[in-house]
Amino acid sequence: MSTAAGGPATGGLPPNTIIAIGVIGGLAGIYLTMLNQTFNTTIFSVMGGIGSIFAVVWGADAVRRVCSYGLGTGVPSIGMVALGMGVVAAIFGLIIPETGILPIPAILGPVISFIVAALVGLIIGLLSNKVLNMNIPIMEKSMIEIAGAGCLVMMGLSASIAGSFAFNDAILPSVVSTGYIAIVFIGGAMTILHPFNANLGPDETQFRTLYVAIEKAALTMVIAGFASLTAIDAVSAALTVLVGLAIFLVYFDKFMKSVHREAYKVVGTGLLPSAEELE
Amino acid sequence: MIIDPITIALITLGGALIGLGVHFIPVGGAPAAMAQATGVGTGTVQLAAGAGLTGLISAGYMYNFLATSGSFTTSDLILVLASGAVGAMIMITVTMFIGQLVYVYCVGVPPVSAKVDKDPITGDIQDIYVSQGTEGHGVPTVSFVSGTIGGLFGGVGGSLVYVQLMEIGNTPADPAVVALAGIFATGVFYVNAVLASYNIGGTIEGFHDPKFKRVPKAIISCLIASLICAIIAVPIMGGVS
Repeated sequence: MSTAAGGPATGGLPPNTIIAIGVIGGLAGIYLTMLNQTFNTTIFSVMGGIGSIFAVVWGADAVRRVCSYGLGTGVPSIGMVALGMGVVAAIFGLIIPETGILPIPAILGPVISFIVAALVGLIIGLLSNKVLNMNIPIMEKSMIEIAGAGCLVMMGLSASIAGSFAFNDAILPSVVSTGYIAIVFIGGAMTILHPFNANLGPDETQFRTLYVAIEKAALTMVIAGFASLTAIDAVSAALTVLVGLAIFLVYFDKFMKSVHREAYKVVGTGLLPSAEELE
Repeated sequence: MIIDPITIALITLGGALIGLGVHFIPVGGAPAAMAQATGVGTGTVQLAAGAGLTGLISAGYMYNFLATSGSFTTSDLILVLASGAVGAMIMITVTMFIGQLVYVYCVGVPPVSAKVDKDPITGDIQDIYVSQGTEGHGVPTVSFVSGTIGGLFGGVGGSLVYVQLMEIGNTPADPAVVALAGIFATGVFYVNAVLASYNIGGTIEGFHDPKFKRVPKAIISCLIASLICAIIAVPIMGGVS
């Protein structure tokens, strides 16, 4: 149950800035993993994870904006639908150039995935508002954003595990066949749904929510790093894990500081009293 | 490669069955977690996904058992669907039963529906047992039966999507095809479960709840959404094999 029902979210960075950060940062991260092929290494796999962090920030902000209206079903539902749409669209976009059905160069794969995710999101948003009468003014726009962000998170984490976004050569054997795609699915959904779910309420602020988003995305990146131990070499995997841990520590600290600053008062309650002390 | 219309139609049907099944499951949400509403105390998506994914696992086991041993016939398909349905039904009934034990013996409330005066199945009087200011407690008989039916539809729908995707891949022993079909079925399952839960808008007690009359809208939405997912999924599965 969303307790923050009522009106549009306010304050902080404007939505268009976040959208730009998410789209450009997410796609750039995915495309920068191509440096692996250019320099014949796997060290740039970490860029996929960093790209996924940008996409998570966007997705979490979109969830924050739409869930401020109150969905009636709880915030987690929208995160799961984001990755549900995102995973279908991401795999479609990455595989379609490689099947040779349409004459598209493989390099456009992530962009096609992103566009397909946006289209699926638009249709789900239209169905929610027009057929199911949810009457949330920004539902269509938010569903496009959430599906797009989910798709980018999915591709970013997969590219970070496999070291490349080429589907048949890298992602299929390293991410899909190994079953890591389930981790990417649930981990990606958690990063998008959890920040607002953890922070919602009348005193929710955008920066605190987004600190949680970055911190959760960094943790998921650490998990992706461990997964990539079996897919690519140990040095690149260790780099992903270490960069993820560093980002996590920095933003967890920022989150804790903002909690202490914005709370009325932070007091330690101590341990539960023992039986003798109660007498 | 030809996109098979029957496969797409069956995946779409599977998605619509998932959307229908969600409406049968007694979901109480946060109020039920405090024993202030009828149903299991969690969200629609979590309950439906828990049951649906268990159904997928049991269907996947049966499919693997039947398809790797030879050709896959229509009677095999029915066996797989039944296996998926039973898996989902066991999961949802166990959840409801253990939840019921907690409500009755730990919280101390009688299982009662606030939406009907008499239980449509047992005929027991309901309204006098509803505590003031609440919307029922626990899982009354009618909600339990309804939830089991929900598990049946959800399990059949999820297994139908999975089996159709596996049939396009046509290599049941290939882990890549299994993983891809599994994750796609999960994706389709979540999209339909969430659309259905948006239609319910929070809590529902089962088929006797007035909100159940909204089902046609959810079916239309799930048909459209699953059709799109199917059109996207079919060429992918064809592309892997």
